[in-house]
Amino acid sequence: MDLFNLNFEHPDWALILPQLIVFLTAIALVLGDAFLPERSKFNALTGISLVGYGAALASLYWQRGKDDMTFQGSFRADGLTVFLSLIILIAAILSVLVSANYIEYFEDRVPLGEYYILLAFSVVGALLVAGAGDMIMIFIGLELSSLATYVLTAYARRRVESVEGALKYFLLGIFASAILLYGMAWAYGLSGSTDLDGIRAGISEAVAGSDYMEASVLLALLLLVVGLGFKIAAVPFHMWTPDAYEGAPTPVSAYMSVIPKAAGFAALIRILVQALGPLSDDWTWLIAGLALITMALGNFVALSQRNVKRMLAYSSIAHTGYMMVGLAAYQDGSVLGSQLGADGVTALMYYMLAYAFMNIGAFAVLAWLQERGKGVMLDDLSGLAGTHPLAAVSMAVFMISLMGIPPLIGFYAKYYVIVAAIEADMLWLAIAIVLMSALSAYFYLRVVFVMYFGQAPDASTSAPARTVATPLLNAALVIMVVGNLALGLFSQGIIDLGEEWNTALTLASNIPGVN
Amino acid sequence: MELTVDHFLGLSAALFIIGLMGVLMRRNVLIIFLCVELMVAAVAITFAAFARETNTLDGQTFALFAIAVAAAEAAVGLALILALSRRVRSVDVDEYRTLRD
Repeated sequence: MDLFNLNFEHPDWALILPQLIVFLTAIALVLGDAFLPERSKFNALTGISLVGYGAALASLYWQRGKDDMTFQGSFRADGLTVFLSLIILIAAILSVLVSANYIEYFEDRVPLGEYYILLAFSVVGALLVAGAGDMIMIFIGLELSSLATYVLTAYARRRVESVEGALKYFLLGIFASAILLYGMAWAYGLSGSTDLDGIRAGISEAVAGSDYMEASVLLALLLLVVGLGFKIAAVPFHMWTPDAYEGAPTPVSAYMSVIPKAAGFAALIRILVQALGPLSDDWTWLIAGLALITMALGNFVALSQRNVKRMLAYSSIAHTGYMMVGLAAYQDGSVLGSQLGADGVTALMYYMLAYAFMNIGAFAVLAWLQERGKGVMLDDLSGLAGTHPLAAVSMAVFMISLMGIPPLIGFYAKYYVIVAAIEADMLWLAIAIVLMSALSAYFYLRVVFVMYFGQAPDASTSAPARTVATPLLNAALVIMVVGNLALGLFSQGIIDLGEEWNTALTLASNIPGVN
Repeated sequence: MELTVDHFLGLSAALFIIGLMGVLMRRNVLIIFLCVELMVAAVAITFAAFARETNTLDGQTFALFAIAVAAAEAAVGLALILALSRRVRSVDVDEYRTLRD
């Protein structure tokens, strides 16, 4: 027993460089917001955010291939960390570009400084989950990410919907956190460790040589899946999603459809694959079942939505279902077994990257229109191709990509997930994805149809269009349209990078004093 | 009778379930919030009990972190509840229905 023989070593700061850079960015934003003159705030704070996330993205280049852990095993820099951080940082940069002009022009000129600060802390939290080697780090990271997102959701505080959506999100979010925490407590009790590798060893010992699962192991597993199911908006734990997405300022909806979800999936991968990998025969069925009902409910309810933001919220639930198929296709012990495409976890992570480009894009077009005085109902998009042809083209690209038509990125994302499911002998799930994609064509194409064939509102009766310049948002739209077109065709390099995630499993525990 | 780890696990499970039922059944937003806090406190007891049983310190550390996070949740949550109840003039969650299908 080495209870009082704590062994402190110097942390290896180089391993945690991207996380550290984003954290310092957040501090710089706090100071900048406090001391910069009001006039220069917009440029300075936007610049600090973009440079910070960009530098963190660049520093991933050095983090790649390190495959080591620091802070007594609490933080790991392995292939999984690098790829998840890549997704989170790209989504963060896109979110800043989408938010900047919107927050300036819209929502009663709410203060910009706090917005960037909360965004940065939320990104730090998500990045910490990506590199967590310990359940404490997972919990703290998830909470840091979520708490900042709750406040961001309520950011348009003069609109009652914004605060109401935030409160619903908050109540269900902390409820889920409490359930997750209870699951972590049981996982700790069963293995005597909060360290992911320690749990893996402890759980393997606990289930070795028995054909049935002990009730306490099952309890821990269920609590963990339920708690994280809320965070990723899986059915039946999705109730907060439509309200929060609809109520939040549009750039925040874009942000929270990707980064908190990525953090939730990061936690799921870390806990289920890395810590509870020996139980994968049991949890893959659980995840597969949840994936099926998630994609079914998301798509069916999206059919009847007239509000495009709410439709995108249900579509986001459906996409969570597709992503979960990647996790369900995980097979412990045969990580490198894929011949055709990518293994399940890589497919899931590629899907998340694709989803960032598709979904932030769709919300960005809505934000672009809102800044020009339009609403977010389907009728507001009517005849858009005539009045704003470029916005209509970008929206069409994002919708078709979300639907999954080649050669756009959404098709490749679904392709890899389907191949992974077939290789894991889950043909029924692969068929379900195809059927659900066909169903989803109805509500995605309806948006395109309304934009191109709908009657444009009469110029004399409608409110005069506002002319505003939104250079950052335009840049973001161009980046995302190009990303949707190109990243699918050149997906092999991304998949190769993603497949390095399995260093997370082979990374040997080499820290003294940790079990 | 001697107190064992099982007693503490039973206590924390009971508190957790009381909190869980409160969240699911009560309509007052402040009560719901307090019930979630009760659930977190119950988990802290579970951590302490398991730390005792497994003879490690990790659980006690985790319990402290959980309490700190619960405090942060309270700060954000009460601000949100205050902001909304000023607007809607109610703390009943059924009254918050601007957003629905």
